[in-house]
Amino acid sequence: MNLSRVWAVAYKEWREVLRDRLFFTMAFVLPLCIFLVLGWGISFDVEKIPFAVLDQDRTAMSRDFLHRFIDSRYFNYKGDVRSEREFDALLAHSDIRFAIVIPPKFQERLLAGQSTSVQSLIDGVFPYRGQVTRSYVSGIIANFNRQSLAGYLTGARGLSQEQALSRVAPVLLEPRYLYNQALRSQWSMASGLMMLVLMVTPPFLTALGVVREKENGSIYNIYASTISRSEFILGKFLPYLLISCLNILVLWWVVMNVFGTPFKGDPLFYYAASVIYVICTAGVGLLVSLLVQTQVAAITLTMVISFVPAMLYSGLLVPIESMEPGTRFEAHLFPTLYYLRISWGSFLKGLGWAELWFEVAALMLYAVILWVVGYLNFHKRPRR
Amino acid sequence: MNSNRFLLWWDRVIAMTVKELKQLFRDPVLLAIIVYFFTADVYLAGEGIKLNLHNASVMVIDHDHSAASRELIYRFRPPYFDLKGEISGKKEAENLLNKGKVLAVLDIPEHFQRNLLRGKQVAVQLQVDTSDTVLGTLATSYAAQITADFGQDFAMQELGPVTGQTDNLPVIEDRHRVLYNPNQIDGWFMSISELLTVITILSMLLPAAAAVREKERGTIEQLAVSPLTPLQILLPKVIAMSLVILLGTAVCLFLIIIPAFHLPVKGSIPLFFAVTALYVFATSGIGLFIATASRTLGQVTMLVVLLMMPILLLSGVWTPPEAMPQGLRWAMTFSPLYYLTEMSYAILLKGADMYILKDLLLGLTLLGIAFFSFGVWRFRRQFG
Repeated sequence: MNLSRVWAVAYKEWREVLRDRLFFTMAFVLPLCIFLVLGWGISFDVEKIPFAVLDQDRTAMSRDFLHRFIDSRYFNYKGDVRSEREFDALLAHSDIRFAIVIPPKFQERLLAGQSTSVQSLIDGVFPYRGQVTRSYVSGIIANFNRQSLAGYLTGARGLSQEQALSRVAPVLLEPRYLYNQALRSQWSMASGLMMLVLMVTPPFLTALGVVREKENGSIYNIYASTISRSEFILGKFLPYLLISCLNILVLWWVVMNVFGTPFKGDPLFYYAASVIYVICTAGVGLLVSLLVQTQVAAITLTMVISFVPAMLYSGLLVPIESMEPGTRFEAHLFPTLYYLRISWGSFLKGLGWAELWFEVAALMLYAVILWVVGYLNFHKRPRR
Repeated sequence: MNSNRFLLWWDRVIAMTVKELKQLFRDPVLLAIIVYFFTADVYLAGEGIKLNLHNASVMVIDHDHSAASRELIYRFRPPYFDLKGEISGKKEAENLLNKGKVLAVLDIPEHFQRNLLRGKQVAVQLQVDTSDTVLGTLATSYAAQITADFGQDFAMQELGPVTGQTDNLPVIEDRHRVLYNPNQIDGWFMSISELLTVITILSMLLPAAAAVREKERGTIEQLAVSPLTPLQILLPKVIAMSLVILLGTAVCLFLIIIPAFHLPVKGSIPLFFAVTALYVFATSGIGLFIATASRTLGQVTMLVVLLMMPILLLSGVWTPPEAMPQGLRWAMTFSPLYYLTEMSYAILLKGADMYILKDLLLGLTLLGIAFFSFGVWRFRRQFG
């Protein structure tokens, strides 16, 4: 290994990157773009759900009940309708996502100590949002019921208000949200997206760097030169590693300052782990570059083999817990799962070496395997 | 005479369309990309992305060890929860939560049963790992439901002998209907959203690639000296690629989405295809713009990836318009994918007809005319 040759290749590559304006912009803008789009674009906060009302009772009590929805920050009141049929068009056009019908004699029955029912229609096209909406509705109704029952018991059995309430709701669940107290989906999304973006862009750059030479034919200069394959691979890789290391910092800054996610862990640990992860994912790019001949094919193949594990097998969108045993096993074969744990661990949970050493070791093993396989399959004398 | 000229004009367009189709079918890389996108990619997204709580692991700290506490614990059952056993203290709980071994820890206080029987209100604590907000939200809401049910059953047992049935209590019965996707199958939503993304990518990529390939190979000069007008060169590319995309959409819908996810199509399929065709035409205008901005296929692919980001962000697929900040909501009017997304879900899942969707149709048409004229104008300027 001759370091001055490595340096020469790295320098040549760096000049090339600088001179290709589109490529240079892509190297820094693309990661940021993917990041911002997914960070802002995927929000799992279910708030301001637009809804409409059909109140067939129109009494003080029905209005009081409805105001529990209208005043909630989870709902956004869009108005009253006159018949149930009007809901169809509103729901189909996504003007509202939820509709509520209050039956006639609502107040009369409740005051007489009888039960009544409230019908709600929920748009279930996006199942997660539908489920959360349903749980809000049940929560509001349950709350109303508790007060109504307690009021009834104070009257009927002469209990004090407090006694009656504890009779009606003997058990309360007090949830304590760990690591993300305000349940902000952007915190988990942003810190999780580090995993996705660093999975996609380093292989993208590395693969294009090698394939560009193949497509231009300039790789034959390399084949014919005295440089050894390890020197070439290393020299090729260094500028892209530098770019990716800068990108880690840029993204990190965005996660903290644009998305407001706190960083509770050890910065040195996280940076080291991220660099190892980048080395690992760039190895994927090296393997892609061995397989394909053109830049288009390189971009497409990288997108496919990096997006799929990052989206589906990492635990970002599909929780590992919800997977079938077979899929769960597959998920452990991709590096994304380990880095996501490191990311969430560092940002939200405040963990460091002591808890996450295994994940880092897994990434290292991964990197070594990828680069050794890449090295062994890169030949200066292509067999055709 | 006039009609002859008209026929000749169309003859040329048709001849060029056939040429484009032949050229595409002889390009194995592009073909493979198209086939992959319309089949495996959509299937993976539909099958893979699940935002449901499924066997979330829970552990218990039971300080009471009574019949009542056991009764509550045993209600944490599959399919939502998977009870992993009992642990002794907070320290261990914290450790397990940190490592992500369990999602939630239920903490039942001492004298749980005694206080219940005395009619005192008891609080049960649930520590939830919310580094993944989707899981955290769902787990909390199901746990709250379970404890509330437990409490209600307990209360009814206590109050039962005196007051009798629920019928005779002033409570509201929560009758909800989840419309359009009653069983909350994530595959319906995800596969359609992925199909729409694929249509968007390809309707930009394919016409742009077809146009740039002529530039790359220099055959554009041949076209320039032929009797074809710029529109006669562009239109066949758009027509040919639209045909391919519509065919792919049909394959995807009938061979992947409907059989694999048992999607019940509520609305009119011809209307869906008409809307898709309009959309493909609109986005191909962006494709033509890309073709004028780049010299090589590699650049085309990069620009497509770059432009995809804002289009996806503003589509409303992951974040519905009501959850967007006001500025972005306004910007959504300029994202063609927003119109397609709204209309596709409305037609396929909600069974909406043209009358309901008239404003969206009008919006997409106007946007399509604007984009397409812009693309043609750019091309003419560069070409002529």
